[in-house]
Amino acid sequence: MNKSDLLSGLRTMLLIRHLEQELVDYYLKNKVMSFVHFYVGQEAVAAGVCNSLKATDKAFGNHRSHGHYLAKGGNPLALVAELFGRKAGCCHGKGGSMHMIDRRVNFMGSTPILGSVTPIATGSALASKLAKTTDVTVAFFGDGASEEGAVYESVNFACLFKLPIIYVVENNLYSVISKLRDRRSENYDSQKIATGLGADYIKADGNDYVDVFTKASQARALAARGSPVVLECVVYRHMAHSAPIFDDKVGHREVDVLDERLKQCPIRKLKALLCSQGHSTAEELERMETSIIADCRGLIERASGLPYPPLADLLTEVYAS
Amino acid sequence: MHPNISFTEAIRDSTRLCMELDPTIFILGLGVSYQNGADGTTTGLKQQFPERVLDTPVSEAALTGAGVGAAVSGMRPIIHHGRVEFALFAIDQIVTQAAKWNYMFGGGNPVPIVFRIAVGRQWGNGPQHTQALYSLFGAVPGLKAVIPSSPAQAKGLLTSALRDKNPVVYLEPRWLYGTRENVPAGPYLADLSRARIVREGSDATVVAYGDGLVDAIKAGRYLSTMNISVEIIDLVSLQPMDHETIARSVQKTGRLLTVDTTHGCFCVGSEVTARLCQTHLHSLKAAPVSISCPNVPCPTSTALTEHFYPTRFDIAGGVQSMLGRPVAPTEPLSFEELHIAPKFDFSKDE
Repeated sequence: MNKSDLLSGLRTMLLIRHLEQELVDYYLKNKVMSFVHFYVGQEAVAAGVCNSLKATDKAFGNHRSHGHYLAKGGNPLALVAELFGRKAGCCHGKGGSMHMIDRRVNFMGSTPILGSVTPIATGSALASKLAKTTDVTVAFFGDGASEEGAVYESVNFACLFKLPIIYVVENNLYSVISKLRDRRSENYDSQKIATGLGADYIKADGNDYVDVFTKASQARALAARGSPVVLECVVYRHMAHSAPIFDDKVGHREVDVLDERLKQCPIRKLKALLCSQGHSTAEELERMETSIIADCRGLIERASGLPYPPLADLLTEVYAS
Repeated sequence: MHPNISFTEAIRDSTRLCMELDPTIFILGLGVSYQNGADGTTTGLKQQFPERVLDTPVSEAALTGAGVGAAVSGMRPIIHHGRVEFALFAIDQIVTQAAKWNYMFGGGNPVPIVFRIAVGRQWGNGPQHTQALYSLFGAVPGLKAVIPSSPAQAKGLLTSALRDKNPVVYLEPRWLYGTRENVPAGPYLADLSRARIVREGSDATVVAYGDGLVDAIKAGRYLSTMNISVEIIDLVSLQPMDHETIARSVQKTGRLLTVDTTHGCFCVGSEVTARLCQTHLHSLKAAPVSISCPNVPCPTSTALTEHFYPTRFDIAGGVQSMLGRPVAPTEPLSFEELHIAPKFDFSKDE
């Protein structure tokens, strides 16, 4: 990967990381009256996948989709405004954190009923095929969601109709705090499930931007030929399932303990790569990060001053007119 | 030209005409590409539109959600479920996804999709093949829910549904598939949100819908032989519900009887009655009457179903009671009328 691709990935990941981190205090002070699921630690998946896509490709997300939205190019101010419940939010205050959407960049919507997103994304790919376009659709969902029947149904459906779709499983080891081994037998095999249904299966290190980008690019090439792909990215979720807090005290973490998470932090690793390959200096990257943090603070400041939706909005848009 | 066609043919006719005019319409469902597909409602469409009539895996969540995803991507899918029991596998996609999508994204995100779901009575099909669950679909803002009650309504409502920008649940009482009516040959619309007065009258208002309407019409004819004049309203739409048309009628007649061909608990008639009492209690000369099925699953044996579904005489008896008259004795109904789907022709007499 060349310097500009790597820097572009880092910039996306820093935006996702710092926009969320700058929102933590606001959330803890009840300034964010939206249920939230933070993406801290998983940035390489959103950035790696979305940067492998074309602008016309479509993406759908889940309850934890701030990163997917931003990586696809979604408007950051509209994200923050939505979390603050403002009219200028991406859903005009009606959706909140779990409903990210920016159709101008083909981020088609996020919907938090786990596996539910996979049939919908499959339908987007079907629409592309029927309309004879070359767009690929991506569905982002987690390891918990992938245990729901709708996912198996969707993969079979996509393979039957040879649809241009990538199912991105972000395996962060937990469904809320339930461990994989409490949910799956020791013989469970994601690869066999995917390939048994007729899809290609690709596994990526979700804590590594370069690996995700490389594997997602392979996946996109396959999907564009009508060969659906399940791309499983094993990744660490740094914070609790919901609410921007750390949950190490709960004691459920075994592999992904704090030291290991910091060691595998995708941002730290990508910075080290840029420096070791001589693309950037630590000082340059720090300047970039400082500037992104300032931008995030500015966005949050602006969003805090935006107006709330008027009462009349309560009753509008139940039906499209 | 108004050929006399069946309910099944009316659905197929509407589908074909709409597909000819709108290239974004396509059909997903189990067996829809077969000669007798979807109870005959899609017969021949695969030959006319090979790429737009797609048989699917037995995967209700996937095929329904694929419809939702295609709809938000600019297509206009028809999703067919041959029994509501199977649609329940996909209830998340209908109730939580399609119904919420436009609102939760703040508008500008329409989901133009039609969920065709066959419901209700059919001899020999028992507890798990004959549910209707009307009130379930009527209870969801964001969905439009309509129940065609005749071939002309079936064609007009489906055509309107296929031109609407919103998710429309089109609940087809399979009991009516063999009914007939003179139906205009070309495309036409029927209002998705308005009840219609099927017969004018002055002594009582009978609100029916779907397969309850045939028996309501027969009851109206029977009552007229006793000089009792009922106004019969076909409710048509559950969401939204046209309370105004009902209230206007009850202001005239002073009496309300509702007909449900499903359980009486949490039924459509309860909703009609509750609203009417809240807004027009003083128009009522008698307590409203609900005619419905008992609160048990629908059995299979005809010896039991004989007492499960309301008949024209049950409806007529309810009206006579409201009028303070003794209920006239009736003859036993034939096995055919009780148990075999009617070949009723709406264009004759009424």
